[in-house]
Order: sequence, then structure tokens, then C-alpha cells
Amino acid sequence: MKKQGKMIGMFLLATFSLYFTYGQKKAERFPYKQSGLSKEQAAIHLLSRFTYGYNSNDVRDVQKEGLEKWFFKQLRAEQTDEKLELLLEPYADVLMDNQSIVQKYPRGPRVRRMMINDGFIPKDSVDNRSKFYKAAYKQYMEEKGYRPEGELFRKFIATKVLRAAFSANQLQEVMTDFWFNHFNVSFTKPQSAPYIPSYENHVIRPYALGKFESLLLATAKSPAMLFYLDNASSTVERPKSKNKKGINENYARELMELHTLGVDGGYTQKDVSEAARIFTGWTVYPMNGYGNPNMLKSMTATNNKMKNQNIVDGDFIFVANRHDKGRKVVLGQQFNNDGYNEGADLISYLSSRPQTARFICKKIAIRFVNDKPDEALVNKMADTFLKSGGDIKKVLTVMVSSPEFWDKRNMYDKVKTPFELAISTVRALDGQIENPNRLVNWVTRMGEKKYYYVAPTGFPDQSSYWINTGSLLNRMNFGLASISNNASGVDIDLLELTNHREPESAEEALEVFARLLLPSTDIAVLKSRLSPLLTAQNLRQKIEKSSGGTFYEKTDKKENLMAKGKKSNNAMLAQVVGLIIGSPEFQRR
Amino acid sequence: MYTRRAFLKSSGLGLFGIGLIGGIPAFVAEAVAREKNNPLYSKRKVIVCIFQRGAMDGLMAVSPFEDPYFREARPTLFMDAAKSGSGNNLIDLDGRFGLHPGMKAFETVFREKRLAIVHGIGSPNTTRSHFDAQDYMESGTPFRKNTTSGWLNRAVGLLGHDNVTTPFSAVSLTPSLPRSLYGDQAALAINDLKNFKIQGRGEILNQNAKTFEDLYDKTKNDLLRDTGKESFEAMKMLQRNLVKNYKPANNAVYPNSSLGNSLKQIAQLVKMDVGLEVAFTESNGWDTHFNQGKDTGIFARNVGDLSKSIMAFWNDIEAYQDDVLVMTMTEFGRTVHQNGTNGTDHGRASCNFILGNHVDGGKVHGAVDMLAKENLEDGRDLRVTTDFRAVFSEVATSHLKLKDNKMLFPDWDGKGIGVMKG
Repeated sequence: MKKQGKMIGMFLLATFSLYFTYGQKKAERFPYKQSGLSKEQAAIHLLSRFTYGYNSNDVRDVQKEGLEKWFFKQLRAEQTDEKLELLLEPYADVLMDNQSIVQKYPRGPRVRRMMINDGFIPKDSVDNRSKFYKAAYKQYMEEKGYRPEGELFRKFIATKVLRAAFSANQLQEVMTDFWFNHFNVSFTKPQSAPYIPSYENHVIRPYALGKFESLLLATAKSPAMLFYLDNASSTVERPKSKNKKGINENYARELMELHTLGVDGGYTQKDVSEAARIFTGWTVYPMNGYGNPNMLKSMTATNNKMKNQNIVDGDFIFVANRHDKGRKVVLGQQFNNDGYNEGADLISYLSSRPQTARFICKKIAIRFVNDKPDEALVNKMADTFLKSGGDIKKVLTVMVSSPEFWDKRNMYDKVKTPFELAISTVRALDGQIENPNRLVNWVTRMGEKKYYYVAPTGFPDQSSYWINTGSLLNRMNFGLASISNNASGVDIDLLELTNHREPESAEEALEVFARLLLPSTDIAVLKSRLSPLLTAQNLRQKIEKSSGGTFYEKTDKKENLMAKGKKSNNAMLAQVVGLIIGSPEFQRR
Repeated sequence: MYTRRAFLKSSGLGLFGIGLIGGIPAFVAEAVAREKNNPLYSKRKVIVCIFQRGAMDGLMAVSPFEDPYFREARPTLFMDAAKSGSGNNLIDLDGRFGLHPGMKAFETVFREKRLAIVHGIGSPNTTRSHFDAQDYMESGTPFRKNTTSGWLNRAVGLLGHDNVTTPFSAVSLTPSLPRSLYGDQAALAINDLKNFKIQGRGEILNQNAKTFEDLYDKTKNDLLRDTGKESFEAMKMLQRNLVKNYKPANNAVYPNSSLGNSLKQIAQLVKMDVGLEVAFTESNGWDTHFNQGKDTGIFARNVGDLSKSIMAFWNDIEAYQDDVLVMTMTEFGRTVHQNGTNGTDHGRASCNFILGNHVDGGKVHGAVDMLAKENLEDGRDLRVTTDFRAVFSEVATSHLKLKDNKMLFPDWDGKGIGVMKG
């Protein structure tokens, strides 16, 4: 697999050397020398910021290719990815459109309704804990070709892991993660959950390196967001109607506070309320038993005078007769009875505000530079954001071309999130992920339950959030577990990494793997601390006696049987590598 | 950034090497566990919150059995307080409300006036979505979704320990951190206390732990070094005190349920004097749309588990009862009328339980009207007459002795309802 990747890499190298430009302008050298960084250090910094992990081989390759060239290739995100495609094949369902997903993976309560409607079970025998019910449920699902919704979620998270670990377009994956977190939605909200795979794959990723406004508009119209922040149910207030539903302000508020202007962005509660009126009628096209089928009927009814103003765009509909047609003023801008366009115009307006530019650019700088980015750098990025109409590629280019980015103090200043730690381990050790969900369990145990963060703020991007007493021991445990396929779901061949030359002593092993995993890091401390352990009497016997410990007990029997057939790593090497992965140095990027 | 250095200095854990873990005879370990290990923390007040996810039918838990409208609304679910032949009856609390027979375990503490019930409690936000209602209740801001912190995390922040706390100040016995504990204050989410250590076995385990401890001690990164130090101290403290084959006091028997196991671990933390102040756990399965049953069935099992788990905990921590309070909460109640499948649908108000020696117990607080249609919210649901913030705020402020509780529920400035004494 690795070899194949390299050949593709060489092919791409040849192709892209023809266009070593971005825009029409030849790229300038990144100013790392001015900050006192060597080319190797700069390559490490680049990889630590724009990929999910690397080892010394990657550092060497990036230097050979040229830092600038590597970066712009990542920015274009056009590399073909045969290896990844192959790995994703078993999970093809997560790429289906929303209609097909809700058809195949119905929620439990809906299955129950269908079972009753189809006369499959009598209405009064629905104790959902009874054996009868469970058996009937299973049979019904099988007959209809349905799968449990939880399976969809697991498959989706598996693809997340595989993409992060193996995509050639690493920056695209990192930015997809960034924007998902910025426009957070959560599996914890059942109405929103089934639409989340498509949200990431069809709403976030295609726009991750595009224009901010397009991304914002796509999220605004996505079922995942429309349900998560309740805009799907927001309608003009009708005082006489029996149906008490009316305007819901949640989306309008988060649009300003979290998605664009920021909490200090200078808007008022009045602006929020007016914006909420603008978005009335923005909702989800009913599909397969979800949503309100009566809405479609009334939309197309012959006596509906406004039906020409309805707009259907994929899963999104704008329903004119749910829209508040009054005059609205948001941030001093007037929006007069213009149906769907009012919302689109407001999104466009918010996207071009200086507050938005600053808020977004600061967040990007926090992700890529450090937890407290330099004001001058943020301003520079914000200027570019405004001048380029929110072009994310240009913003990132300005950032990486600034001396502030290359300040020596930024190197290793960020702490890896649990997800980043797990994936960087796989990437640094050229691992094969055999059971992505087992790796995900570790990420959860280390304090990051991916796609389950409840609040629309998304996970905080601050080192202090991730490093706490509750999670740190599990990072060390992950280190020790990572090299055991049985514990981490990752298959790692340590001997392959040393070109099949087994290190002669534990100290040599430490030397070899520290250089591979922590290139250009001062490993003196690591060596001096590990030495007593490594030179201890009978180390090997002790390790071998201890292997097959707790981690193995946790997995089920079936998996144990499978694992038995596999060759396991030399216990001494595994021990050394486990300690490096769990060490403080490997927690940083 | 706040520090937790005082914890390290005071705990005096240097005496106990990690090598001792598992190697101490059980009787010695138990003797150690009985000691007041850390006098610094021994007088801390503890609030234990249990979130009943799925929305408990408060009207079935504590039924207004004298209300003819209620009897009429629930033809197959209504239970009587008087003896009526078959099955168990409600436990008559005050001539008006009856406790579900599955919660018989609660009767004694209610009669002793240590258990209070608040009926008609709920959120001012009328959402009937589980997600939204839980989110609002846990953030404590019923009309704002973007509140970054949870109300219990803010409570920890208001404890006023001069920013000195222990890693076990706020602990959730759940696989991931609940919304209630999101926020700036350190909070620990853990499923099983046994796993709070470096894993593995044999001699190499001790060596690995020692090596990691050393590596983190020597790293240049402040955050990793300090947190590493705390983690190892905490681990030693916990593992030293964590008794294998824990035996609850007073022969208390915890149900073998997720809630029972969580509360058993919280009891262990309480007894260890590790500085626990806010504990959180949850109980699931309250979304009873179908065949919720009467004195048997889903609902009866749920309330049985809830009350037996809480009472096992309460008896287990008898020596600490003066300092410990237990409070339940649920996102909303259920429809007054039963639905077509012998269950109930999402409603508005429910009830909650508060257990403690300083609680104004033995009564059903709050206001519940006759359940005639005109008294119902939207013509169908028990009306919310007590804002959950009134109760949470009063209980936390009084029990944890918070000096300034304005930030606990920032959008709210109402008053308590007298559910705490004094």
C-alpha cells in the first residue's frame, strides 16, 4: 500500500511541477529562515499544521518536493486517491443522498409506526422491550432491507477516520474538520442525525477550501442544520391559527453569534428577531416519512397564490406561505418582501462584514498558528478575507506566507486533540486501520466524542480544554495500546518500519523510533528517562510475561480468535514505541 | 488559568508508591479507606444530580389520585391509593398525592421529612424535543443554545475555593462529559473508577507508570507537566483508596443497574474524601410512549431502579448524610391523557425528588391544579408552575453554600420555593 502511494506521489510530482504556481503568480518562498527555522523544522511545522500526522520520511519528502509546492498542492486538493477510494468502498452508504439514507436507515420510532401501519404487529402489543417485539422488529427490518440507524453513524465515523488517516488531500480533511466544528451539528439531536453524513460529505467538504459565503449558504439550506437549530419549524406567526408554532430564533441567533459576526459583532436582539423572520419558510423537503407531507400538498394547492415563489433546491425548500412577508431591518439593512432572496441576501451581507472576517480569521489562526494568535496576523488575514470575497485559499496563503506563522515559538505549541493523536499515531507508524471503530472508542475515552458535541459552539480549540486529569492517563494508555491491533484496531508492523533490521538493543530501538516519530526533537530527556527501564534486568521476559494484559481481556472472544492468527510485534519494540506515543512530546504538534 | 497546586501539596501522597497498588492486603486497604484520608476535604458538601433522560411521567410517579379528571384521562394507567383488590396501590403521601408503589423505598425518608418532591416543575421554554429540553435544562439557559457552560460547572466555579480544587471536585459517572458539566472548571467524566490508572499488568505496568510519570515531570510544556503531575497524584489517591470488592455500609444493596453502579462509585468517592462536591449521573428509558404499565411494567421497573439505587446510596453513605444531597431532574413531563398505545407522549411539567437532611421534606411542593382541560397547558399537558431554575438554584445555593449565585442561571432572577430548610 505504502509503495503504491509513493508511485502515485511521484507521478503527481511530475505533473504538478508544470504548475508550480498559485493564481497566476509564482509562489514566493515561505519566510521561515527569517524566524530562525531550518528547512527541516519548517517542513515539520508545515506538516504539523496542515496534516493529521507525519513521520521523518514525510519530512524528508516535503523538503525534497519544496515546502511551497507541497502547500499549494494541498490547497488545490485535487490529488487522486485510489488507496482511499478502495478503503472507503465498504462504507459506500454514507455517500448516499439524504433521501436514500433515511429510506435505508429508518429511526426506531418510525419503524414501529410502519410495522403497525403494515399490520405487521398489532397496535396494542408494542412493549418495545419484549422478546416478541424485538424478534418482530428484526424480521421486519430484514424483510424491508432496512438497517439500524446506529450502523449508519458507525460507518460514517469510520470513514472520517479513514479519510483523516489516508487521504492524500490532507489539508482538505483538516479544513473539513475545522468547518464542521465551526458549523457544528450533533448526533445527539435525533431529528438532525440522519442528515449528518451527507452534511459533511456534500455540504462541508466540497466548500472547505472555497468561498466562505458559499459554505455558509450551503449549511443554512442543509437538513442537518435546519433541524439542529430548529429553523425547519420556523414559520410566520399566525395568531389565529390553531397550530401554535411560530418563529424560532435559534438559527438566526447562532448565524450571527457563532457562524459569522461573533458574540461581540455588534448586533442586537432586535437584529436576531428580524433575521429570524427573514428565514421563516426555510425548511426541509419532506422525505420518506420524515417532515410534513401536508406541507407539500398545501404548497402546490391550486388556491395557493404564492406557489410560484416556492423554491426547491435538493433537500431544501423555501415555502412561501410560511414566510413572514413584512418589512425587516437587520444591522440597518432593509429586506422587503422578496421571499427566499431575503435570506440569501442576508447571508451574503453577513459574509462580507469586517467583524465576520476577523472572527473567522482569528478562528483559523487559532487552529493553525497557536491558541492566542498575533493581532497583526489576524488583521492581515481579515484584510485578505474581505478583499477576496471570503476566499479561504487566499486567507490560508496569506497566513502561511507571514513571518508570524513561522515564529519559532509556534512549533509544537498546539496540543493534539484526541482525534489528532490517534490519527497521527496511525500516520507516523504507517499503520493499517482494520477496525476504525475501535480507534474511535479510544478517541472517546480520551475526551473527544466526535459528532456528539451537544452545543452549537463545537469543541473548544484550546489546549487547556483537551489536557486535563480526566483524559491524560488515557492518552498514555492509548500509547501503550496503540501498537496492539487487538486494542486499537490498528495494524502496525514495527519491523517493516526499521526495514526489517531488528534493533539490537532497547536503546537502539528507542533511538530509531524516536527519530522516526519525533524528527528533529531533542530526545535526550526521553532517552535518559527511558534508559533505566530499558536496561533493567530481564526486561524482555517481563514484557513478554505482561503482554496479553488488560487490553486483550477487553475485546470479545471472536476478535481474539481473529487476532491470534496474526503475527504480533516484538514486545520490546512495542514497549518502546508505546512509551513514545504516550510521551508528552508526542501529544504536541 | 487557575491552579490546583494546593491539592498536590496537601495530599501527602508521596508516601504511597504506585508499586503498592493491588499489593496491599484487603483488610489493610479497607482500614485505610475508613480513615478520613484528607482532612482538607472532609467537610465538603456534595450535591449528586441524576438526570432522568427521556422525560419521566411525573403524574404517574406522584399521582394526584383524588383528581377525577386524572382518573378519566388514564383509563388503563390510573392507580388508586386505596386497596383495590389486585396489584399494589399508590402510597398515599398526603391525602392528595400518591407515590408509585415501585418507589416504596422512598416512603421512609419521605415520612422522616428528608425527601421533598416538587410537582409541576419544568422549563419556561415550551419545546417538547428531548434534545432541546435537556440542552436547556443542563445549560441552565432555556432560551439560549450557545451558552458554553453547563449550570453544574458554573456551580463549581462559584464554590469560592480561591481557584484551588481537586481533580475530583466535579465528577460525572458517564462515558462522556454531560452538557451540565461543560465549562471552564475541570470536570472528570469516567465510567468506571477502576480504569483511572495506567493499564496493563505484571511488573512492567509499574515500570510504565513510573516512566510516564517521569517523562511528564520533566517535559518543558507547563500544561502537560502540571496536568501530568495532577493525574498521577489523582491516580494514586484513587487507586490507594479504591477497595477491591467494595462492601457498602449498612448492608446496602445497590440494584445491578447502570444507575446503581454509578451511585455505588459516587458513594466510594464521597467516602474517600477526595474533595468531591458535584457528582452527576443519569438514568435512561423514561420515554414511555408505549405500554408504560401500572404497578408492573416499564415505568414500574424504572422507578424501582431509581428509588432503590438512591436509597442504597443514601444508606451506604449514612455517616456523610449531613453533607450530601441528591436531586433528580428530567427534561419535561408527559401528556395528562394516555395515548392510543397505553403510553404517554411528550408533555410539559413533571416532578423531581430532593433528598437530604436539610431539605424541607415530607411534602409535595409546587402547585398542581385540577387536571380539567382548561387548566392544562395547550389543553393537554400539566402546566409548569415552578421554573426548574427556582429549585436548582435554591438547592445548589443553600446546600453548597454559594455566596453569589447570579451566574448560576444568568438569565433568571426569580426566588426559591422553600424546598430547603432555613
